[in-house]
Amino acid sequence: MRFDRNKLAADSSFAFLGSGEPGGKAAGLAFLQESLGGRFPGGSFRGLPVDIPRMTVLLTGAFEEFIAGNRLRLEELSELSDEQIARHFQKADLPVFLVGDLLALVSQARGPLAVRSSSLLEDALYEPFAGVYSTKMVPNNQPDAEGRFRKLVEAIKLVYASTWFRRSRDYCRATGHALEQERMGVIIQELVGHRFHDRFYPSVSGVARSYNYYPLGACRREDGVAHLALGLGKTIVDGGLSWFCCPAYPRTPPPYNSLRDLAKNTQTRYWAVNLGQPAEYDPTKENEYLVHGDLAEAEAEGSLGALCSTWDPASDRLVMGLSGEGPRILDFSPLLQGGVAPLPELIVELLALAGERAQGEVEIEFALALDPQGNRPARFGFLQVRPMAVRRRAASLEGIPPERILVHSEQVVGGGGIAGIRHVVYVKPGTFAAAATATIAGELAGVNARLGGTPYVLIGFGRWGSADPWLGIPVIWSQISGARAIVEGTLPQMSPEPSQGSHFFHNLSGLGIPYFTVSDPRGIAWSQLERMPAVEDLTYVRHVESPAELRVLVDGSTGQGVIAR
Amino acid sequence: MPKQSYNPFLMAQAQFDKVAESLALEESVRELLRFPLREYHVSIPVRMDDGKVRVFRGFRIQHNDARGPAKGGIRFHPQETVDMVRALSMWMTWKCSVVDIPLGGAKGGVVCDPHNLSLREQEQICRGWVRQLVRDMGPVRDVPAPDVMTNGQHMLWMLDEYETILGGRYPGFITGKPVGLGGSLGRTEATGFGLVFVMREALKELGLRPEATTASVQGFGNVARYAVQLYQRLGGKVLSVACWDQGDQASYTYRKKSGIDLEELVGITDRFGGIDKAKATDLGYEQLPGDAWLEQEVDILIPAALENQIHAGNVEKMSKKVKLVAEGANGPTAPEADQIFAKRGVFLIPDFLANAGGVTCSYFEQVQCNMNYFWEKDEVLGKLDTKMTSAFLAVSELSRRKKLYMRDAAYVIAINRVAQACQERGWV
Repeated sequence: MRFDRNKLAADSSFAFLGSGEPGGKAAGLAFLQESLGGRFPGGSFRGLPVDIPRMTVLLTGAFEEFIAGNRLRLEELSELSDEQIARHFQKADLPVFLVGDLLALVSQARGPLAVRSSSLLEDALYEPFAGVYSTKMVPNNQPDAEGRFRKLVEAIKLVYASTWFRRSRDYCRATGHALEQERMGVIIQELVGHRFHDRFYPSVSGVARSYNYYPLGACRREDGVAHLALGLGKTIVDGGLSWFCCPAYPRTPPPYNSLRDLAKNTQTRYWAVNLGQPAEYDPTKENEYLVHGDLAEAEAEGSLGALCSTWDPASDRLVMGLSGEGPRILDFSPLLQGGVAPLPELIVELLALAGERAQGEVEIEFALALDPQGNRPARFGFLQVRPMAVRRRAASLEGIPPERILVHSEQVVGGGGIAGIRHVVYVKPGTFAAAATATIAGELAGVNARLGGTPYVLIGFGRWGSADPWLGIPVIWSQISGARAIVEGTLPQMSPEPSQGSHFFHNLSGLGIPYFTVSDPRGIAWSQLERMPAVEDLTYVRHVESPAELRVLVDGSTGQGVIAR
Repeated sequence: MPKQSYNPFLMAQAQFDKVAESLALEESVRELLRFPLREYHVSIPVRMDDGKVRVFRGFRIQHNDARGPAKGGIRFHPQETVDMVRALSMWMTWKCSVVDIPLGGAKGGVVCDPHNLSLREQEQICRGWVRQLVRDMGPVRDVPAPDVMTNGQHMLWMLDEYETILGGRYPGFITGKPVGLGGSLGRTEATGFGLVFVMREALKELGLRPEATTASVQGFGNVARYAVQLYQRLGGKVLSVACWDQGDQASYTYRKKSGIDLEELVGITDRFGGIDKAKATDLGYEQLPGDAWLEQEVDILIPAALENQIHAGNVEKMSKKVKLVAEGANGPTAPEADQIFAKRGVFLIPDFLANAGGVTCSYFEQVQCNMNYFWEKDEVLGKLDTKMTSAFLAVSELSRRKKLYMRDAAYVIAINRVAQACQERGWV
């Protein structure tokens, strides 16, 4: 429905403002909203309230008018840094027909708001743009409506500015899109969560996919996978440590050899909106109002009880809930096994519903607010849905002589074959250091630029694209845009479980780039790579050219794949 | 309607009397509000560029300041009359009241024609006017603003004279100053945008989408241009605009049935707001008589030029298609025309509500000046929209509830607030 400030309080769970298109994200949610009521009569699932949090969408016409009305020119601003672009956008004026409605919106909306991008390109099938543009959370807790309005306006302008940021320009260039034609819608959405002292966050954020590239135990690929984290979903979509499980079999044990490994690979920090002392004023910063807390703080805030287990080192076993002084393990077992809320069952339902509507595989984002004390009602918020491009094409891996195989994996995302690649860029296992991942990202960006679009195979360690430099190499897509196949190897000092919840992973799979996860050290023929003539040999990265053409072959039905000469 | 029969102050009083009767106001309240609280008539001697001294007559009329410091423009006009200034000061009281800003109503004027005065002579008039009135004006008493043939430069001269006499900085003494010298962002657009904010709400009540409507506009000055700009941004189509041609001393209507192009027309407009006839024709506009704007087959009429433009003599020429009249000018509709509107069921947004965006933004300017902290344009216009929309909704709700004509409903709200303030202060 069209936004009507006079009916806000009564009913505006989903309203549009301005003219134009809603953008991919908003369109996806609008599409689903109708079905949600039918599937969950009374707006709840087994007693748990389920909804799409109240949202207002600024249609893309407002962005067009903002750009034209303020005479902002892409060709001029693209010479500037992102911060300078953001400052230009902050100085510009929002279209006049928006401002009164926005003031009315914040006059009535209390509680933190998420200001999310919803561009034309975002979340369309085979147009993977997840996480390319900015999302900003605002606490919306200033005592006066004008103060809240100012913060909202700053956040909208930042989302607009992110359309022209370097990463967006590079991403568009690398994926063959014309940024000039991109139009940005903006979603202003209430945040699902509770206040814990001076912080606001959901007990659980999640990303679930209806198709699991790395099934475990009895789980099938079609059973899907869910990544769960305490606090805001930023932890997951940035590729940080989170819990993952198959929602159909939530009790399936995780693939860790020991509780020590488990403790090392589970979430230790969480993101929240800061409701307390204002942070340093900087409207150009996406994280201006976010805080990054640790589990001890979450425990002190009382948010951990229904989510974690405690590791008792003396008996080397896990005890559900908070118990004694042992390390807290965020395994969500009270929720997944203890029945605190019907979360796994609900995820299964929602994936099925979204899949039916999208007529294909989907990825969803959600948040669950629980009050450990039970004083405030629980609530499940459905935040996003985007189609997944799953490539199941088969390719025959038979008949390839073992001595010609460079990389072999049983866990490959993708399907089919790619030929015509001669270059390999790899992170040298001998010099790799977890502390140097940011430097490695820089070296890779340089090689990528010098290759000038020539396709190559990229081999490294840890989660590619993770925002946490201790979990992998924190590249953004434009730094490795020539990679046509990516290999994630492991080393003793860098062996996180593969994450499917990150935006980087979503975009990669959407673009059809085969992603090889190699946990077996023998899966990569390092000696063959070392024998290849080096085009460049840097401190951490080596670029070689194979005398023979390489073939990338992936059997999408089994997840097996090879890269062979 | 013949010009000489039009006395604006009598008209303003007649409008007041009608509402006072319906509100059953006490006689003492009526007596107080029918006339200005204070009138200042001043003589301003100015040494002209030719060395001779000429004395100009000026006025400042404070109609009522029960709700806050008086507020109103200062006009430079050769045909200025005290009755015109009285009427305008009364309308300012109602205007500030209907949008619920804490200000009273005033108006000022100097009988002069700036076209025939050098800038130095105009400056001397401004400074002389302030010297004569300095004891009775100021940020907490009476705050002037630009009006007919005065602008930001005049306001700066007046401010400077005021501050020189008082020995301090008082940017809240006057509004309409240039941005950077105490002016507010958004002030230029405020009246035109404010007009469209209330039009937008009216269209909602009429069940019409802006993009499905057409409009005809009288005037091509500041108010009309920004109103056209925002109305077009909402999707509406303006079919014609009428404006004054300084050379011909006549007005013309320019029409394009596919919709006018604002930028194109502004590009061929002279400094008096007159559109170049030949260039307009070249651009495909039909040139029609000045009154033709009223006769167009449109949904909305926006008189945004002068007072008394729709009257008994021409109201019947208005198309039956017209559903909404939004008065951008002060007093453009004569009472007889009002009756026809009411009979036909035309929805009217009365002048002192429709064009209150200007004074509302002036109020914002004063607030910003008094705290010496200036807002971003987004914030100014956001607040303007909120204020105008709230005012409109209050009026239309009363109109619906009490089955009152919109003008009467607006007067009822405005007069009631002022009467109440006078009573609560114990004046009457």
